[in-house]
Amino acid sequence: MFLTFFESLRAKGLHVTLGEFLDLQNALDKGLCGSSLTQFYYVARMILVKSETEYDKFDMAFEECFKAAEHETEVGAQMLRWLDKSEMLELAHEEARKHLNQTEDLQIDKDDVEEKFKQRLRDQNEEHNGGSFWIGTMGKTSFGNLGGNVGGVRVGGQTGYQSAFSVVGARKYRDFRDDRVMDNRQFQLAFRRLRQFSANLDIPESELDIDRTVDKTCNQGGVLGIVMKKPRKNAVKLMLLMDSGGTMIPYSSLLNDLFQSVNKSNHYKDVKCYYFHNCIYNHLYKTPECENGDWVETEWLFRNADSDYKVIIVGDAAMAPEELYSDTGNYRGPNGGLSGYEWLKLVKRHYKKVVWLNPKMAPGKAPWREAETACKELFPMYKLTVAGLNKAMYELMSPKR
Amino acid sequence: MQNFESTTEYVASEELMASVNIAMALEKPLLIKGEPGTGKTQLAQAVSKALGKRLIIWNIKSTTKAQEGLYIYDTIQRLYDGQFGESGVDDISKYIKLGKLGEAFDSEDQVVLLIDEIDKADLEFPNDLLWELDQMEFYIGETKKTIKAKHRPIVIITSNAEKELPDAFLRRCIFHYIDFPDKELMAQIVKVHYPNVEENLLNAAMDTFYDIRNIHDIRKKPSTSELIDWVNALQLGGISAEQIRSKLPFVGVVVKKDEDLELVKKGGLV
Repeated sequence: MFLTFFESLRAKGLHVTLGEFLDLQNALDKGLCGSSLTQFYYVARMILVKSETEYDKFDMAFEECFKAAEHETEVGAQMLRWLDKSEMLELAHEEARKHLNQTEDLQIDKDDVEEKFKQRLRDQNEEHNGGSFWIGTMGKTSFGNLGGNVGGVRVGGQTGYQSAFSVVGARKYRDFRDDRVMDNRQFQLAFRRLRQFSANLDIPESELDIDRTVDKTCNQGGVLGIVMKKPRKNAVKLMLLMDSGGTMIPYSSLLNDLFQSVNKSNHYKDVKCYYFHNCIYNHLYKTPECENGDWVETEWLFRNADSDYKVIIVGDAAMAPEELYSDTGNYRGPNGGLSGYEWLKLVKRHYKKVVWLNPKMAPGKAPWREAETACKELFPMYKLTVAGLNKAMYELMSPKR
Repeated sequence: MQNFESTTEYVASEELMASVNIAMALEKPLLIKGEPGTGKTQLAQAVSKALGKRLIIWNIKSTTKAQEGLYIYDTIQRLYDGQFGESGVDDISKYIKLGKLGEAFDSEDQVVLLIDEIDKADLEFPNDLLWELDQMEFYIGETKKTIKAKHRPIVIITSNAEKELPDAFLRRCIFHYIDFPDKELMAQIVKVHYPNVEENLLNAAMDTFYDIRNIHDIRKKPSTSELIDWVNALQLGGISAEQIRSKLPFVGVVVKKDEDLELVKKGGLV
């Protein structure tokens, strides 16, 4: 049942498993969905989707598969405009409603109402408000908006009740998608992925394992048995190299958040943070202002920060070609006789793990952005979003390339 | 089968009630996520009250280990007893103490088990509970006994999304994200706490509250529980509805960060 729905969900990138899908069948068997599409929407979402960041994908797949079901009550755009009278809501007093309901027979037989509704949809050709036959607002027929009849079909207008397609259509979970640009909190979470406990590393067991010592002692009937363990500390060393060139100004608050969250995640063994202007040359600046003289030599950094540092370069990789390829292209200061591209190659050679985060990366290959393409060839480049940062963290933590 | 419905003390949306009932029907744990202050923890209390079942709460902290929820073998007590010649030292089962999960399994009646803030624990924590939550049983190696649930407990798990939960764990849960309540539902919720609140005051406070939430750059969005506190403060302070927007009395109850306070005062509210 609904196999196309299953396939469509997977095509949209939701990792729905067979087990979960069988659970849904089970729920259907038990009659948990009633016979309503809206119920089915919620039940399916609860069982198949496990994160609010994926609600949007689910909504899209659902719309694709069950569009035909919505068709039953599809209404012309013109008619929806006639009906959208939410500003008149205050006029629709409780009293008026009560009065209307007294005079109108309740039409709650759904099939009957729908049949008449379709019939009238075909016949109607102008706007109606307050009447007792045509579809319109404030009326007492079973169709339309702001009306007094409780058993009828509501058409358009501001909705309080969350039917499946009003939710799907609104795409209100779009903001939860994890491929949008992120905030500080999410940065911090992503950085938590970056940990490698020294308990997993090849180092001596130098700490007393109290729990296991007690256990062992007791198991030996009180004869002391000492158990040692490897100290459990995060062994990750992190180096952040950030572009603070002119083209990065629009992203300054984003970079500030990134910097803050690295500083707040104080569980690294060491964090180094330097800045560069458009491209890396033989000096790296200590402050984002990139003042002349307030720097360290890049060579010094290579000597003092060993190859185990995990390097994150943040920049838009929008250097002018001469900034990247000319030996004298750095107008901010000396470049040690090497072009920016050569310096980047040195970084790549020296460090085992380097990733590049780009706040405005072009998707796929972008031949018109020459510098970006060149940098992409050197380093794995990710867009500075939740999803991108997570991928970058996986790359940094993956075993040696 | 019993169904869960809103109680006089807890107002739940249709979807939330449905999720509880579906989780019970399918006998799967219910995972609840949502903004802080949307009543995730209270849900379990409401469910236990509505169904008349005992509630067992397992509060997760960053140091909690999965094993603690099952049982603890109190070796130190045993050693201590052994040295002072207490009787029954050779009976190990005397020193096995069941954890919260064990307690829920061992209970004579069906219970509601709340595993609160599961994301606080270590990344691997949920994985360590897969078998136990699936099969509703675990094995005590020391006594060679299996503890099996007499009645499958209704398991409600809350998460603040501080850590990603492992896929294998998620696959076994029913998931529901509590949306932030809209004005209508919010009015109901406040009235549950303060039934006599003046209509004008409530409306003015709620309008201001939603406007604060909608300020674009706000760092920490105020939550339901903060609105409830605010309404209480406004009532006790005898503030009139007209003053709320212009003077923002006791706004510190709703806005907690300095930057946000500045934003609100700088005329983020028009």
